[in-house]
Amino acid sequence: MFAAWRSDFTPAQRAHTKRVLWLLLAYAIVLPPLVWVRANTAVAGYIPLLMAVVAALPVLGIFASWGRYLSDETDEYHQAMTLRRIAIATNATMGAAVVWGFLQAFGVMPLVEAYWIPLVWVVIQGFQACFGGSSTRGQND
Amino acid sequence: MENRLRVLRATRNWSQQDLAGRLEVSRQSVNAIETGKYDPSLPLAFRIAELFELPIEEIFVSPSRRSSKAI
Repeated sequence: MFAAWRSDFTPAQRAHTKRVLWLLLAYAIVLPPLVWVRANTAVAGYIPLLMAVVAALPVLGIFASWGRYLSDETDEYHQAMTLRRIAIATNATMGAAVVWGFLQAFGVMPLVEAYWIPLVWVVIQGFQACFGGSSTRGQND
Repeated sequence: MENRLRVLRATRNWSQQDLAGRLEVSRQSVNAIETGKYDPSLPLAFRIAELFELPIEEIFVSPSRRSSKAI
């Protein structure tokens, strides 16, 4: 894995991955205490709003990092593949969200919090990266 | 798009990584172009042609020319 990090990742990919890892760490640190405070105290007024914004900030940072990556990436193939994955994942996620929304509205499915939508989006991109057929691993000659 | 990139690379005894370094792209880009999974942009196609000192048409097979030959 680290060999791939050194040789197969472009500089833009390495920078993006580092940013995302730091943001995920921030998310893991920030979220549990916020959840605990919400569950165990009677916060009111602007505090729950502030807590929600603070919880969302690392995830927003991850999306900003994606945008930064697309502008930093100089390799046109990697840029094109990323844009393709984003387009497919966005269409699939939005479609699933619409379907689930109507199923939920008609009482067929339970309520799911909206913050799961970005996770579905990321997972779909992950599947594409693993099984999308654009891999060139092991084809060097 | 069909191309002769792998053959041209082999005549110079370059690996995909060597060619990628000379073109300032990733090895995956070179592989994707060679296998026809990705068509390079015009600037990159020109850089490839200049590197091999050949016209673009001698490296990449125009899809329209290929289908007209098939007819």
